[in-house]
Amino acid sequence: MSGTGEAVATLGQDALAVYADDPQVSAELETYAVRLREPLRVALAGMVKAGKSTLLNAIIGEEIAPTDTGECTRIVTWYRWAATPRITLHPLEGEPVLLPVRRVDGRLQFELGSVRAEEVRRLVVDWPAERLRHLTLIDTPGIASLSSDVSERSLAFLTPEDAPSEADAVVYLMRHLHASDLDFLEAFRDTSAGTSGTVNALAVLSRADEVGAGRIDSLISAGSIADRYRADPSLRALALEVVPIAGLLAQTARTLRQEEYHALALLAAVDRTAREGLLLSADRFVRIEFSPDVGQEARAALLERFGLFGIRLACALLQGSVHTASDLARELARRSGLDQLLLLMGQQFQERAAQLRARTALTGVEALVRSHPRDGSTGLLTSVEKIHTGAHEIRELRLLSALRSRTVPLAPAQAAEVERLIGGSGVAQGVRLGLDDGASPDDVRAAALAHLYRWRGITENPLTPRTAAEACAVVVRTCEELVQEAQVRAHA
Amino acid sequence: MGELVAMVEKALELVAVGDRPDLSQRLRQTLERLADPDVRVIVVGEFKQGKSKLINALVNAPVCPVDDDIATSVPTVVRFGDPASAFVVAPREGGTRGEDGAPELERRRIPLEEIARYVSEKENPGNVQGLASAEVGLPRKMLANGLSVIDSPGVGGLDSAHALTTLTALPTADAMLLVSDASQEYTEPELRFLRQASRIVPNVACVLSKTDLYPQWRTVAGLDRGHLDQGGNAGTPLIPVSSDLRLYAAKTNDTELNEESGFPELVRYLRQEIVGKAAALQRRSVAQDLLSTADHLELALKSELSALENPEGLQNLLAELEETKERADQQRRKSSRWQTSLNDGMSDLISDMEHDLRDRLRKIQREAEAAIDSADPGETWDQFADWLEQRVASAVSDTFVWTNERAQWLAEEVAGLFSKDGVPLPLLQVSGTDGVLAPVEEVADLDRGKVSLPGKVLIGMRGSYGGVLMFGLLTGIIGMSLINPLSVGAGLLLGRKAYKEDKEARLKRRQGEAKNLVRRQIDDVVFQVGKQLKDRLRLVQRETRDHFSEIAEEHHRSLSDSVSAAQRASSSRAQGRGQRIRELRAQIGGVVVLRRAARTLLPASPAPAAPPAGPAAEVAAVRA
Repeated sequence: MSGTGEAVATLGQDALAVYADDPQVSAELETYAVRLREPLRVALAGMVKAGKSTLLNAIIGEEIAPTDTGECTRIVTWYRWAATPRITLHPLEGEPVLLPVRRVDGRLQFELGSVRAEEVRRLVVDWPAERLRHLTLIDTPGIASLSSDVSERSLAFLTPEDAPSEADAVVYLMRHLHASDLDFLEAFRDTSAGTSGTVNALAVLSRADEVGAGRIDSLISAGSIADRYRADPSLRALALEVVPIAGLLAQTARTLRQEEYHALALLAAVDRTAREGLLLSADRFVRIEFSPDVGQEARAALLERFGLFGIRLACALLQGSVHTASDLARELARRSGLDQLLLLMGQQFQERAAQLRARTALTGVEALVRSHPRDGSTGLLTSVEKIHTGAHEIRELRLLSALRSRTVPLAPAQAAEVERLIGGSGVAQGVRLGLDDGASPDDVRAAALAHLYRWRGITENPLTPRTAAEACAVVVRTCEELVQEAQVRAHA
Repeated sequence: MGELVAMVEKALELVAVGDRPDLSQRLRQTLERLADPDVRVIVVGEFKQGKSKLINALVNAPVCPVDDDIATSVPTVVRFGDPASAFVVAPREGGTRGEDGAPELERRRIPLEEIARYVSEKENPGNVQGLASAEVGLPRKMLANGLSVIDSPGVGGLDSAHALTTLTALPTADAMLLVSDASQEYTEPELRFLRQASRIVPNVACVLSKTDLYPQWRTVAGLDRGHLDQGGNAGTPLIPVSSDLRLYAAKTNDTELNEESGFPELVRYLRQEIVGKAAALQRRSVAQDLLSTADHLELALKSELSALENPEGLQNLLAELEETKERADQQRRKSSRWQTSLNDGMSDLISDMEHDLRDRLRKIQREAEAAIDSADPGETWDQFADWLEQRVASAVSDTFVWTNERAQWLAEEVAGLFSKDGVPLPLLQVSGTDGVLAPVEEVADLDRGKVSLPGKVLIGMRGSYGGVLMFGLLTGIIGMSLINPLSVGAGLLLGRKAYKEDKEARLKRRQGEAKNLVRRQIDDVVFQVGKQLKDRLRLVQRETRDHFSEIAEEHHRSLSDSVSAAQRASSSRAQGRGQRIRELRAQIGGVVVLRRAARTLLPASPAPAAPPAGPAAEVAAVRA
């Protein structure tokens, strides 16, 4: 799969040679070349207060992004890996400035000094967190914000008009599906994918714990709502998956402290009716004492970290089979939906990282060359075209997007199979073929061969409509690669 | 309420003695208004803010279905009813469609417990049953004085075309509750909706729901308060509530918990500010009606009495009465100031409204044309049509709000000119834009610009055929056959060129066609909406005119009655005189009692400051 990446890198070199005397274009080409080597960039986007920063903390596993009750994130902030923490402010004009790394209760504080938020292009946080090694996360201000320039900044960053988006993929958070959510996803697909028409967004039904008013079955409700959205044709065409997530719970689970565990254990020991009385409302929980060891401030802090739902769930778990802090953390993380999201991000983004990056770079170079025609640019465009048609991964992505928007005349069952084979649920061999993880290389080979023959038959069937046959040809090619890979592995 | 009815009935008896059908008709209308006081409070907000649960908690009954997913799909009215009952307003089965395409509606009784089958998103998604509304009657003390609470379907993004429907329902409401939950501060669409709505509804209150779930609700409340103050809604109350706590408190009979739920404050607001104010307004208007009736009656009685008591002053009295009558008559004339200003104002308003509508739509049209020029409209036509409809809807709602305001202002101007302080204005509203856009058809479909394969071949052939023929003939000169490698090659080249040119031409054609569609659509909207708004404004004009003419007519009638009564008195014989004087005194006594009673209905302080300027007072002024 790295073939495309290499081809794009070569293309970049060639383009650099052609535009050697144009410093502006060269600089932009250079950034695309750098992008090919860097970790994948995933942006967290969504309406105001959808819980973007909270989810970011949960993914990183550390409470570093500032969160607040009011609208909080006003500047596009990058979180990327580095051995030592550092915060750099990139203003719209002028040189980047280093900011002091200051944390209050663990969270970073960005002290902009005399610079106003509107004058900042981005903040870059270098942080030594393991998760960031292979993934650069971008926190964006909410769209539909009260100050329209804040949301415009977000939109301009994620869906620029004349270049590919700075983010390779996006995790889109929404509390309920609004028209503006669809507009955004559509715009992101249009600009980021450019002409290659692919889907590279995951939708997250965030704050899932609040869906059922914090009842203990809230996440089940949220799950069924996510199912409905998943089936919604307008969303299906725009996002690969819809996952319900209780962001606050996820963040807390990743950073659970021993004293919190103790406080919860004490609460779980309280008589059931009394406990339910305490948990009737947030105010009551803070006001009414349940144990002399847990003071009012501790209760308020607990509530802030877990939310009513989190406390209810934790109590239920502690009364069940969970008896240690680490078990509790694991169980909370599992139930919060974070694990599922991480898995999906792995399957859909990380395993595809090379091709997603290559595609962004390719689109970028193409746009640049087209807008700056000169001697030799025709040759570059031909190479671009060649990569477009030759890169099987890109064709897979394109087909996936076509399937999602239901423009391929295939029966639903067939379409689902095609989707899985071309990597709609993940690009690992086993996932594509629908096999267990433990399948032997021979099993894989046999399954791949069976698929190959079947799809070849469908492709060559004269009754198959032309567009469907084109889709099938992509599947056949995929199957061929699968067989080849299986053979290599069987020999090894 | 009962004492008001009794007073009006008493007044009706008094009027029946004199021959004044005009006065008794007005009093009968007053009685009707008293019998059916309707104070409508509409609950609006984005979806999933807890609107339905708020109503359930308010009346403590599960009347509006609640779900974790979107729940309400049909507006539901909750009002007083004993015993509890439920109705839906649905299209009559097998009924015909009216002139404007609207189906015939009927009110159908349904079992109360089945209400969810009709109004919930689950059972009736997107309101496929086509219900206009549902009504629930409950025996609750809170609803007894005419309060009705309306649950509206949530709006996804308060700026969508859907929001226009909500907006148009507002002019008929007495108050609006904007529900937003405590999870976050107001968003831009919410605040914009609030700004627009507060120009249409007299009373707006904001409710911060789900305070039980969010520990930081106080911070959110503070932020919201700030947004309200900044946005020019400083007077709008913000009431934090928790429906769950209230429902739980009702179940366990826990008053302390009920207090904590914040509902007592909401109930107090509804009772005092909304129902209380409406009732006060009701009392005031009844009082005004009674006082003016008393004035009218008294004038004739007193004129006759004074003619009887001192016949020598008769000529003076008649002269004065004639003079007042002359002045009052001026108000009946077409040339009177208020009539002219009403007519002029209304034609100004209509032309302004048309200009405003055209101006807004023209801007949209320009934007649309720019968008069409920038890309192939065939590919994005669906989204484009959605966008266009939404923009048009929001432009129409802006014009609507603006026209409504101007119409009210005009009516007040006219009232001022009529110089009748305290005359209760008739219901001067352009009424909803419900169905304003209904006769305008949806944006027509556009050729998607997708050419089927045979089509492509055909277009290519058209070009290549010429190429093959031309080069075939040319090369034929040097002795090659008509179809040879050279001519086929040329054919291919030309075919490709023809296909490309044709593609461009088709794009141009599609763009032209799209622009035409937009133009036609906007013309349609201007025509239909303009016509409807004009009709509505004419209605306002007619109602205003009738209202004030009626009053002018009453004055005329009272004054001419007085004149004839005074003349009659001068010619009556001496022996009957004593008898008649006693009768008149008794009747005047009745009127005085009525007046005193009516005075007590008015708020204490401004009563002496603003005495109703009835004809009697005018006569008094002339005398002085």
